[in-house]
Amino acid sequence: MINTTNGMMSPSSSSAANNAQSPGLKTYFKTPEGRYKLHYEKTHPAGLLHYGHGKTVTQVTLAHLKDKPVSASPPAPPSSYSTGGGVRSAAARFLGGSNGSRALSFVGGNGGSKSVSGNGRIGSIGVSSLSNPTGTSNFDGKGTYLIFNVGDAIFICDLNTQDKDPIKSIHFSNSNPVCHAFDPDAKDGHDLLIGLNSGDVYSVSLRQQLLDLGKKLVGAQHYNKDGCVNSSRCTSIAWVPDGDGAFVVAHADGNLFVYEKSKEGAGDSSFPVIKDQTQFSVAHARYSKSNPISRWHICPGSINGVAFSTDGAYIATVGRDGYLRVFDFSREQLICGGKSYYGALLCCAWSVDGKYILTGGEDDLVQVWSMEDRKVVAWGEGHNSWVSGVAFDPFWSPPNSDGTGENVVYRFGSVGQDTQLLLWDLEMDEIVVPLRRCPGGSPTFSTGSQSSHWDNACPVGTLQPAPSIRDVPKLSPLVAHRVHTDPLSGLMFTQESVLTACREGHIKIWTRPGVAEIQSSNSEALLSTSSKDKQLLLSGKVGGNSYKQNNHQDIETGGIENPPCKYKTAMARIHIY
Amino acid sequence: MGAAGSKLEKALGDQFPEGERYFGLENFGNTCYCNSVLQALYFCVPFREQLLDYYTNNKNLADAEENLLTCLADLFMQISSQKKKTGVIAPKRFVQRLKKQNELFRSYMHQDAHEFLNFLLNELVDILEKEASASKSDPETSSPPEKTANGPKTAQANGIQKEPLVTWVHKNFQGILTNETRCLRCETVTARDETFLDLSLDIEQNSSITSCLKNFSSTETLNAEDKFFCDKCCSLQEAQKRMKIKKPPHILVIHLKRFKYIEQLGRYKKLSYRVVFPLELKLSNTVEDADSEYSLFAVVVHVGSGPNHGHYVSLVKSHNHWLFFDDENVEMIDESSVQTFFGSAQEYSSNTDHGYILFYESLATNDKS
Repeated sequence: MINTTNGMMSPSSSSAANNAQSPGLKTYFKTPEGRYKLHYEKTHPAGLLHYGHGKTVTQVTLAHLKDKPVSASPPAPPSSYSTGGGVRSAAARFLGGSNGSRALSFVGGNGGSKSVSGNGRIGSIGVSSLSNPTGTSNFDGKGTYLIFNVGDAIFICDLNTQDKDPIKSIHFSNSNPVCHAFDPDAKDGHDLLIGLNSGDVYSVSLRQQLLDLGKKLVGAQHYNKDGCVNSSRCTSIAWVPDGDGAFVVAHADGNLFVYEKSKEGAGDSSFPVIKDQTQFSVAHARYSKSNPISRWHICPGSINGVAFSTDGAYIATVGRDGYLRVFDFSREQLICGGKSYYGALLCCAWSVDGKYILTGGEDDLVQVWSMEDRKVVAWGEGHNSWVSGVAFDPFWSPPNSDGTGENVVYRFGSVGQDTQLLLWDLEMDEIVVPLRRCPGGSPTFSTGSQSSHWDNACPVGTLQPAPSIRDVPKLSPLVAHRVHTDPLSGLMFTQESVLTACREGHIKIWTRPGVAEIQSSNSEALLSTSSKDKQLLLSGKVGGNSYKQNNHQDIETGGIENPPCKYKTAMARIHIY
Repeated sequence: MGAAGSKLEKALGDQFPEGERYFGLENFGNTCYCNSVLQALYFCVPFREQLLDYYTNNKNLADAEENLLTCLADLFMQISSQKKKTGVIAPKRFVQRLKKQNELFRSYMHQDAHEFLNFLLNELVDILEKEASASKSDPETSSPPEKTANGPKTAQANGIQKEPLVTWVHKNFQGILTNETRCLRCETVTARDETFLDLSLDIEQNSSITSCLKNFSSTETLNAEDKFFCDKCCSLQEAQKRMKIKKPPHILVIHLKRFKYIEQLGRYKKLSYRVVFPLELKLSNTVEDADSEYSLFAVVVHVGSGPNHGHYVSLVKSHNHWLFFDDENVEMIDESSVQTFFGSAQEYSSNTDHGYILFYESLATNDKS
């Protein structure tokens, strides 16, 4: 609901002016469609200095809290179930062999968004019967929050206020939080997932955390307690779209676990020993009560990032071995994938229409993977260091487009450890397949399969080797802007802005050109919030690569004991409402 | 020392690689520059194997005269033939020989690890070349020296056309750069080849090795004071110059220029820049699009904030385990902790452990000797 909250996102941003923290950095950048201006900055309290320097990498999750549900767990009316055929089949497939008594609530909203995604842009249709119920609200409408981890804490900021400091901090005594995810449509209140360095996982209600005055996690469901199922670091965590409370946790040892939040974490959840570390394998829990319900062994090294396609049918993973892998999630099958030019891949993201996947990694390249062609179709060259975050801009539409154009243009962004934000346009017609080298052109080295890169669609379930540098068309960035002084860890797009985050926990919010003017006259957009929120949250995951950290929790608790006073005032305000 | 050894053995358990030895090296007072480089070279397996081969095939030479090559071979032999799997060895003879040979390394001052590596490799090459030319005059020799396939064709300074000898040290470390200069008037391209044993790269804050290599090969315009004498035009002309890698070496040694002379200060300063290096690397600045992949196997790390003091340690990958060598001490480390040696994103930081020399080995098997 970022787009419709109120006039808070006005251009008169005093916070952007005193940008003292980052000397020499500009507070705007230019694009063909106009200027992006630095609007707000968010960060952790100053007391928490870089004690854990380089130990944890900040990731950011955007969370939009809807109005308070009327009752705790309303079963979805069956009528809403049938609004989106694609969603239905995806959900039905997902149900698989597990318990069939799920209430598929809130699928209507997603059905709308799915139908929009065909042309790669976001329209304002898809009004859900479930959006904007007239029930009582706990908050004053500014229900969009930034959740980010720094050191041993999770911080929560209000996106739409000038306050730089968080309104809430949650400290973990056992291990550092390293990844998180939010589900706006969670039906029983538990909408926030947090993965720890120790492998532990929690699900909680974000609203409940905001209402609580303490500095500890409250009302949490604890999974993989003390790493009993898997003790390696959590690297990435995600709700299964329309998965009815199912979520996945990727670990640094190459395993991914599927959980169901409705189940108690207790019970025997042991899995058989992995016979071949290099082979993909899926093992299911022996007992129906077990949680996690399955283990996917994906690769020998770390899984650095995971991303679900919009409809939840596919999950993409990237890892230490440099491979992007795409799986049919419900069938637990490898569909396609391929290797980076060299080095590990660190991040991945889907286009809303599910046609393309972006990856970024240690070869400094942004890679565009086509699901149709099952291969890399473009390399973006422009970063001077590793690419740590990628995202399509689902809100951008090409200027002067009549909406029926044959050649679809995609806008995407990337951030790197070179402290730069790059924006790119991908127009598929413009990518020219480079001239093929003549056969036997390179006598020195022959890796064999690379020359067939453009010829054959590879069969289902096979991974492609690294393409040769000559075989992949190159893209140049539209914009390159140095946004922070520290290496970046992620980015995301919202209706009004681009958010960038650095590894050390500073977040900048850059408003799109012309946002303020549109906003004042755009009250009818309220109707479309459901589908927009959905899109927003699909892209609203700033994923970074967090390396294994040492056991340095509890080194300093000084900053923890004294919550910022702004937090208290913010809480007071909430209680008044 | 015994305790540390057993700890490492315990950590590796039954995964301890067959026949491998992990020995710390004693420090004789500021000799960590030497120890860190020696460990990196010891775990450069093709180099070690060929040095040990040389040692066993040339035992009589070792008796004849001691030099740096025989001292290094002795040391490597000593390590590899230890009964125990871990422990500490004193590289006494080698360090003594080094100090005798070069007055630069004689003092107890802090020395530059890259300077030492460079000196050592060139010294080894010299010794091998001398031996080869000595045996050339001896008709009984069995192994005639090989000629380079595409080696430098430039005439020697003294005018005598000497066929450059390719020793096993060359085969491991030598690559060929080609320096292309294009005259902007007549468009003639002049290419000059030069050999290298390592690449010294300028570094930038928050960059990657890939980016530093790109800058190394980027086109540079020669103009104003710095014009190029074009042979065809017979005059000074503006020109464009770029360096490309004509023959990538089997072992790629990359030296990060972290010690920079600051004119205003009149002294060297250490650049603590964060320069990320991937565990796998490809060279894209080659003459041919070779796409040959390299794998990182050793990092010499400089610890400290200034150029004139500090410490050197090394990270070494052996049989898929990463080990941390700090003089006498050897520890196992996780692969992910390699990233703690990238450098600092901020100028003033408590982190002073910075990757200084990187050792990559080519994964291509068809260009080996």
